[in-house]
Amino acid sequence: MKQFIITGLLVSISFAGLSQKKIEFVEYDLPNGIHVILHEEHATPIVAVSVLYHVGSKNENPDKTGFAHFFEHLLFEGSTNIDRGEYSDLVENNGGTLNANTSQDRTFYYEILPSNQLELGIWLESERMLHAKVDNEGIETQRSVVKEEKRQRVDNQPYGTFFQEIFANVFTEHPYKWQPIGSMEHLDAAVEADYVNFYRTFYVPANATLSIAGDINIEQTKKWIETYFASIPKGEAINMYRDFETMEDSSFETKYGIAKSTLDAKNFMKPTDKKAAAVVTKYANTPVDIPRTKKATEQLTEVKKVVVYDNIQLPGLFMAYRLPEATNEDMFALQMMSDVLSGGSSSRINKSLVERQQLAQFAFAFSYGLEDAGLGIFAAIASKDITLDAIQKAFDAEIALIQKDLISEEEFQKIRNQYENDFISSNASVAGIAENLADNHVYNGGANKVNTELSKFMSVTREDIQRVAKKYLTQDARVIIEFLPKEEEGSGK
Amino acid sequence: MKKLIIAVGLLAPTMLFGQLDRSIRPQAGPAPQINIEDSEVFTMDNGMTVILSENHKLPRVTFSLVMGAAPSAEGKLAGLAEIAGSLIMSGTENHTKDQLDQEIDYIGASLSADENSMYLSCLTKHMDKGLSLMQDVLIYANFPEDEVDRILKSNESALISAKADAGTMKNNAQAVANFPASHPYGEVMTEESLSAITRESIVQYFRSEFTPVGSYIVIVGDIDRTQAEAAVNKYFASWNGAQPHKAKMPEANQNTGNRVIFVNKNGAVQSVISVTFPMDITPSHPDYLKLKVLNGILGGGVFGNRLMQNLREDKAYTYGCRSSYNVTEYGSWFEAGGNFRNEVTDSSITEILYELERITEEYVTDEELAMTKASMAGGFARSLESPSTVAQFALAIIRYKLPKDYYQTYLKQLSAVTKEDLLLVAQKYLKPNKANIIVVGNEEILGKLTQFDSDGKIEKMDAFGRTMIDREKAGITAEELFKKHSEAVAMGTSGKKLTKKLKKIKSQVVTTEMQVPQMPQAMVVTNAWAADGREGMKMEIPGMMVVQKEYFDGTAGGSMNMQEGASTLTADEIAARKKSQGLIPELNYETSGMQYELLGIETRDGKKYYVVKLNDGESETYDYYDVNTFYKVESTVIVENNGESREITRTFGKFTEHNGLMLADEVNLNIGGMVLKGEVKERIFNEDFDLNDFK
Repeated sequence: MKQFIITGLLVSISFAGLSQKKIEFVEYDLPNGIHVILHEEHATPIVAVSVLYHVGSKNENPDKTGFAHFFEHLLFEGSTNIDRGEYSDLVENNGGTLNANTSQDRTFYYEILPSNQLELGIWLESERMLHAKVDNEGIETQRSVVKEEKRQRVDNQPYGTFFQEIFANVFTEHPYKWQPIGSMEHLDAAVEADYVNFYRTFYVPANATLSIAGDINIEQTKKWIETYFASIPKGEAINMYRDFETMEDSSFETKYGIAKSTLDAKNFMKPTDKKAAAVVTKYANTPVDIPRTKKATEQLTEVKKVVVYDNIQLPGLFMAYRLPEATNEDMFALQMMSDVLSGGSSSRINKSLVERQQLAQFAFAFSYGLEDAGLGIFAAIASKDITLDAIQKAFDAEIALIQKDLISEEEFQKIRNQYENDFISSNASVAGIAENLADNHVYNGGANKVNTELSKFMSVTREDIQRVAKKYLTQDARVIIEFLPKEEEGSGK
Repeated sequence: MKKLIIAVGLLAPTMLFGQLDRSIRPQAGPAPQINIEDSEVFTMDNGMTVILSENHKLPRVTFSLVMGAAPSAEGKLAGLAEIAGSLIMSGTENHTKDQLDQEIDYIGASLSADENSMYLSCLTKHMDKGLSLMQDVLIYANFPEDEVDRILKSNESALISAKADAGTMKNNAQAVANFPASHPYGEVMTEESLSAITRESIVQYFRSEFTPVGSYIVIVGDIDRTQAEAAVNKYFASWNGAQPHKAKMPEANQNTGNRVIFVNKNGAVQSVISVTFPMDITPSHPDYLKLKVLNGILGGGVFGNRLMQNLREDKAYTYGCRSSYNVTEYGSWFEAGGNFRNEVTDSSITEILYELERITEEYVTDEELAMTKASMAGGFARSLESPSTVAQFALAIIRYKLPKDYYQTYLKQLSAVTKEDLLLVAQKYLKPNKANIIVVGNEEILGKLTQFDSDGKIEKMDAFGRTMIDREKAGITAEELFKKHSEAVAMGTSGKKLTKKLKKIKSQVVTTEMQVPQMPQAMVVTNAWAADGREGMKMEIPGMMVVQKEYFDGTAGGSMNMQEGASTLTADEIAARKKSQGLIPELNYETSGMQYELLGIETRDGKKYYVVKLNDGESETYDYYDVNTFYKVESTVIVENNGESREITRTFGKFTEHNGLMLADEVNLNIGGMVLKGEVKERIFNEDFDLNDFK
């Protein structure tokens, strides 16, 4: 009976075709370099306003790690026109909500507001970009918040440093070798000028994508963007403007050769004074030098084993394989491969290592695709009296199996169903759409990839999954991190 | 239409080129029109009402099935509905629970149920599979014995933890204060009512509650009328059932003046306060929206509301003070309160009553009104992204007979609310002089509460809202109680004979297995004690982790736990420890410096107990001794740390003879609401142990 139902279902699904609907949008560049993406839909009277800054932990100076994430906190402190602590009140008292996040590759800020507050959202983000409060008072407050966050999420978390260990051992040169949370010593040692420099380098129009989705009128939205964002000075002129607001008259004049009085904050780009106009134009035509990283070149050539002693009771095994960067075509098949191995409770690794053999308390695998490189990660926490060798063998057996035999039709179909459902759900909210559009523009070669990504996954075959498993899960070139209880340190175990 | 909008956009005032004063904050535009499609309604022969709200934005569809029966008082089976609801998804005659989960996963859908509804969400193309599973649950849910047992057991633990949870205690007292016992909202699940619930009563509940007659199925999403009709006919037409239960709801309780209800919580450092009263209003009443705005200003909504401003920002009595309303077809009530330090309990009540009175006497300010409306409008708009909100709205329109465009025009109605409206609504529904003032807290504050009660008589309730009898005088002294207790433990031996008997016991190592909720593996606790003063405790999940270790060598000691790491005992902690040493610590209280007080005899569930309050300088303990056996059956220790108090209650049972002593072989722990059931597996006497095992 059960067999019958499932076969029937398979047939119905394979003929049904994909459910995805096309996401329409317009996009353009402002003269100062901001890339704008607008998606209009009126299903719900709300709007998501987001700005993606193409800066993550990989853009940090090796002696000043943690800056990108730190800015995510700092930039809620307010601006020249927004008092300290007022930024989130302005959003919440107007019925909105807001947040931000940071990765190795990006920093992303957003507000979700009732659509009649769109202008407020645009103003808020433009204030953050133009002249946020980057000063000692905010730096001190946020330092303690970030330290608390690190204590909670990394230091006091058993196995909490595993990401750090993996990345540090795979990447010896590329800045992926440190984590977004960074070093607290670096944050402590840094002075106000270091923070200001980071802001002046990365928080500039040419490094930003403004993505707005929801109940908007495109023409009106463009006008507000023109008002608040196009007025942000281009190139180095933005930093000249920041100096104009923060510097003493005399030092400003020394630096730029013109008096502050020749400039007007309300009309900064078009001073009436001819000399001042020339200086502003000169700075506007000097692009801000935004340092970019290159694709990671490190390849694993051997098995690298590392032992970490931690405050834990059960040993843990963490393995990493080197995968290509996120935009590589093979990443579609690699992600599906990870889900065959580890997507949900009925996946292979969970069934085998956790339920059937009871070797591990938890076990999982996932593919991590970043802008400059990718990693395939396998992880397990051992069950009582189980050695990491046994776990290693069980993982290797699963890897050998997926390399040797095609996955079953039923497994294949389940993964496809899950991808389709997850994909559609990720575009269910206007905030999700704004984020997906911006991400695809910056990292995947075009905002429109949002409309083709699912078909890329759906064109992956069982043979592709087997092929990438063979190509990338290289048993003779991987990093193996063993987490052992501190008590065993020095015992020779 | 579209062209027109663009034209309007072009006419909007444009700024002088480049001139921009950034310090001017943008103002909100006009309230947006809410685009909720009109829903279509049709009925089926079996009595179901189908409400269809098409939304083709995404290829998804949701089906929410809501029963039409009114809630009914369950009397001796109070709690039945909740328990039955949590068991509906436990399997059917055709699918085990695992199979159900697996088939739902396969199509990436979600299917859930509670005491009077069922909800399916899936991609439209998987609708048939999803509906066939929903139909299977609806008609063939079979409530397997083992799942019923599991849920009943977990509710037993929940009731035990309720006794330590001031919030639950407050809710229970509030239910009883606002509604009579014959009203479903005036009922409280107790250990007695839980034990009367059987699988048969659960099945019976499900059969009578889940009936198509009077039920509603709300369909929202990417589906048209023809498809919807075909789907409901295919999956629900064959579903039949009886007429739903229709009871006339008894009236809510009416007070003539303020009524103070006190629920004792031994050693509490904070009082949970609720100023609460029933309200005569239903969701379809035009005042409902105004009441929401009023509550937003008083103590709901944004952070700047009056209760929060007054009691937190100005007075610093609390971390949070809020107000809320519950408005249903069957009964409605209001409550305002929060957690407050013991010493400001009375001042806090005064301020809450003051704010309730003030808002019934004066207009709210224009600024408060504007800010609350803006926040509510935004929250409303954002909520519409979720299909379940849209489904709720479509249902409310039919069920409460609201105007068809009620939600389309919601924002306009909201913006039309005036301060004059709010004053009228406040005067009509708020009862600062006929309120139930519920306080769960330390009995030390009891005296300060009399002033608030209109007849000066405070009512006392237990954790489940039952009338509490005042403690009787003990009739014996504390010292006599300790003597009786030690004799009982020593099976009649006393005086020098007892000293001699105890001297023979040099050490004891007790191993207890404790069941942790939601964890398959038991926790093992090892308690070691030696006559020379050494003590050790270890709590572990064997092979997985050591949760906590503690040791004391008679003069020094320390502890280690997973969250906080290792620490050594302070001088004060050592002094405290020395006050309760020995196999029967009661023997030493008189000489060890322990502060003790026999509070009297307390009656609980018809049984009587001596209550002793101890203070060892570090923490307070409340011990309960059975008046007949003199065994210690319960002990609650309250540890205060940086102004936060944590409490741990141990209950003892299954007293069994070991080495001439009657000792408890059953020990249950209640740690801040988490209940661990423990059974002693082994007691080893007079075999030495290594204290290093506990370091």
